[in-house]
Amino acid sequence: MWLLLGASAVVAVVAFVVAGSRLAARRAAAPREITVSLVAFPDQPIVGEAQVFRTRTEMLSIGDPSGPRRAAHPRTLATYRVLRAYPGAPPRIPHGLTPGEFREGACKACHERGGFSVRFNAYVPVTPHPEMGACLQCHVGDAKLMAIPLPSTDPNSRCRQCHTAGGSRASDSTLDWKTMPWPSLMPVSVGRTPPPIPHDAPMRTNCLACHAGPSGVVEIRTSHPERADCRQCHLQASALPEPDASVARGAVIEFGGAP
Amino acid sequence: MKRRHVARSAEREASRENSFRAHMTSVDRRTFLKGVAAVSAVAAGSAVANDATAQARADVVSRQERPPVWKKAPCRLCGVGCGLLVGIQGGRAVAVQGDPKSTVGDGLACAKGYYSVQALYARDRLKRAMIRRDNRLVEVPIGEALDLVAQRLRETTAKYGKDSVALYGSAQWTIPDAYVASKLFKGALGTNNVESSTRLASASAMAGLEGSFGLDGTIGCYEDIEHADIIVLWDINIAETDPVLFSRMLARRKKNPAVRIVEIATRTTRTSYAADHSVLHTPRSTQAIANAICQEIVARKWVDQDFVDRHVAFRRGRPDIGYGITSDALVADDATTATWDEYVSFLGGSTPERVQALSGAPAASIRWLASLYGDRSRKVMSVWGANVNQHARGTYTNNALYNIHLLVGKIASPGNSPFAITGQPGGGNALHDAGSLTHTLPRGVVRQERDRQRAADIWGVPVGQIDSKPTHAALSMFRALDRGDVRFLWIQATNPMVSLPNVDRYRRAAGKEGRFIVVSELYPTATTAVADVVLPSAMWFEREGIDANVERRLQHFDLMVAPPGDAMSDAWQMIEVARRLGFGKMFPAERRGHVEQLWNEYRKFHEPPSTLPALSHLREGTGAMWPVVDGHETKWRYNTALDPKADRARGRYDFYGHADGRAWIWLRPNEPPAESTDADFPFWLNTGAVLEQSGTGSITQRIPTLHRAVPRAYVEINGDDATRLRIRDRDLVRLTSRRGAIELEARIEYRSQPQRGTLFVPSFDESLPVSRLMLDAFCPISGQPDLTTCAVRVERVASAAGG
Repeated sequence: MWLLLGASAVVAVVAFVVAGSRLAARRAAAPREITVSLVAFPDQPIVGEAQVFRTRTEMLSIGDPSGPRRAAHPRTLATYRVLRAYPGAPPRIPHGLTPGEFREGACKACHERGGFSVRFNAYVPVTPHPEMGACLQCHVGDAKLMAIPLPSTDPNSRCRQCHTAGGSRASDSTLDWKTMPWPSLMPVSVGRTPPPIPHDAPMRTNCLACHAGPSGVVEIRTSHPERADCRQCHLQASALPEPDASVARGAVIEFGGAP
Repeated sequence: MKRRHVARSAEREASRENSFRAHMTSVDRRTFLKGVAAVSAVAAGSAVANDATAQARADVVSRQERPPVWKKAPCRLCGVGCGLLVGIQGGRAVAVQGDPKSTVGDGLACAKGYYSVQALYARDRLKRAMIRRDNRLVEVPIGEALDLVAQRLRETTAKYGKDSVALYGSAQWTIPDAYVASKLFKGALGTNNVESSTRLASASAMAGLEGSFGLDGTIGCYEDIEHADIIVLWDINIAETDPVLFSRMLARRKKNPAVRIVEIATRTTRTSYAADHSVLHTPRSTQAIANAICQEIVARKWVDQDFVDRHVAFRRGRPDIGYGITSDALVADDATTATWDEYVSFLGGSTPERVQALSGAPAASIRWLASLYGDRSRKVMSVWGANVNQHARGTYTNNALYNIHLLVGKIASPGNSPFAITGQPGGGNALHDAGSLTHTLPRGVVRQERDRQRAADIWGVPVGQIDSKPTHAALSMFRALDRGDVRFLWIQATNPMVSLPNVDRYRRAAGKEGRFIVVSELYPTATTAVADVVLPSAMWFEREGIDANVERRLQHFDLMVAPPGDAMSDAWQMIEVARRLGFGKMFPAERRGHVEQLWNEYRKFHEPPSTLPALSHLREGTGAMWPVVDGHETKWRYNTALDPKADRARGRYDFYGHADGRAWIWLRPNEPPAESTDADFPFWLNTGAVLEQSGTGSITQRIPTLHRAVPRAYVEINGDDATRLRIRDRDLVRLTSRRGAIELEARIEYRSQPQRGTLFVPSFDESLPVSRLMLDAFCPISGQPDLTTCAVRVERVASAAGG
């Protein structure tokens, strides 16, 4: 009886999610400014919460995106993109770490399996490459959260008057950065053919990490995570092009200033 | 007792030096004015916003659906040289991924690599040339700036002689840059005043290899990691200095759980947490530990006697080589032959117990380490880096580490590998080999008649034009600038006004009247602040280039995007100046194809069978490890089964770098460092790298994500010391050495944990140059400055709470 009720609830939720994600996909096409509130420096080690990340099945359940738990820190395409400098970039770490966690790389205690974190009031994103060991090799944090805040009164300002001229410190406004377009949310497919995969995926061959589970990105979550073998039906739209030796070998690019 | 005595004599040497310098302070005014002018010049470009949300504003190049073109380029932010694929779209670099074909990273990079391309687009990139007028740098057409550089070069040599002009280049140079520098200065101008920051990055590694094996260039390669049973990390926080190699080590251990990662370190770091065992010791006692391991190996009869008899000879060097403080000249090693018995009796002074007293490393740990090396069933790889090399006894320590491997015959075969890592893309020998140091010529040294003759023939100059006497190694060149022996200095792609030890002394030197400083750079730095002419440089794939990483892998990158404004490569800047000086015929006339033309000319220096691959070969694949013989790269040198240059008639190994075909074990005595702690300066200060930053931060600090990760330097203090000194986390503290002081934030229990009595400050921060505190000593054999350790005191200035 309970089983039956549960099953029909799941079907309803699936329908809701699919509809929602289609809508969201259309909306996301227009660029807009995004604000992400970062999670504050934790008082307690994250590893203390490791016990709650023990159920593998929870990763595959879809959950209710409008539920109270998701409201605080929903993982959307907007938050997904804000942590990445370009499509495929390793995401930044948007939360604090205690020094011990930072040194030892305790990341996988939570990010290997996922689950709900009470402290962060959010479902924990799951890494698509749990086999890699040195997380902090590629994923960097933010000084505001786990390194050094800039002092309000700068004790060295007098030295710097003379001793550094380089002083322009980097922020996003000191960078003239443009990236490639994000993968299309509406990949071309004919009729009911499963849509192709619109991005290449080095280090991200585990599709479910982003496309399924309660921490899956809302707009791109799959309606049928239980099928698991995604590439049985979804094909790579464009394999990574070979490095093109014919382009830009000096023939088409202008050199710097002519003296 | 002896240790303290020698330390004092080094101090006396230093204090004489200081009193000498007291006479030199009258030049401060000009330094000051130069600095102020430069600050106002860049003020317009600086921004204060540090907003974590702003990244979302990053726009895309175009909405076109055509995917970017991916082209290969080696990362240039450390010496590992990971293969990257750079996404090019709309004439801009828009994304990065690890090159899955590259054998270096196997599709993986580190945070620096993934964000590297953003450095091209910092808004304060130098796009126009600047000339100092009325103490301000003003923009001029680049032709005018190049005219002025040529004019001042000509005037200075006419007035003060050919050795009054000098070039200080970079470990960031490509091989063609270094080759053009050598040809212009040594071949055309006839001065050996060519140096580069490779001296700071790798000179002791080079001198160590040349001493032990007769040739520069590593013996093994990164693949040793996948063969080794034991990986011993000597004073290297490899998780942060060379993250991709670290992850290869972790992968190796995961695949084979019997593999052990063992660390010998002066502080507890991210590497320590991953290591299976960590042996802590006091700074600057590394060589003593190596000697003690050799002593134990000999005492326990773990020596591979057959290997030693066939392939090893013993040498003693010159005693009392000094610390490069009072003398500018390098010391010739003057090897004299020693015997096995002499070596054994020499080791008698380095028993584990004695070295425990010297180093703080437990004798039991030293014995255990020796047993790992001595175990015939296990292959051992030893890895070390800047902490060993940037040391007034850097060459000694390198030799002592090779001695361990030579005693047990664990060398030059897969997994048996002593491996010195250097921190810059030009560190892996290729730049030395192109003639980027005062004593080198392309594929040779200036002292050798034969090498000078070959260079003269290829360059089309009379052989008498090439001077046979080396002049100044890096620090000495800046001392010559201080004295006035050097009047014109062209600095390219490096930031010596931050990176040199005792940096204030050399900032004063650069600011003196009658000195003309030209700086080729990407951004405004502390070095452009003292420049009379600033030339904007093209970076990375804004020009075509070839470099070689630490494992001798030559890698090529194409010109992929146009450099900004008037920026051009360092090599082409020099060619433009050469043309203005009347040396145009010696260099390519056209920019199109000039890198290949230079490469083919440089290849002529390499005599068969050891050749350099054609550029087309480097363009196609993911590089080649030189020597390349008949198209085959060399992974392990001196192994007659694996190195085509080695002579099989000599048995399994042929150390052909030495005329006797043997590797040399050097009797290197344990000597005290150039400066030790005492009552006034009771703390050892260690400096080093953090993962997110590179060099003096001029590139990485302009990448917002990397900057935000570690925006400022800090000092890490051991918790016990902090309690004793009443210093709390984030208090402001002052570090004072005999050279100067800096104030920065204290961190306790942070990224790493220094031992009691030691401190750690990362060295990337241009605004808090820890180099100001360092002693400007250098290894008298290699010339590499002593950059990683000095003695300081620490005191609290203000508490974090504001009290």
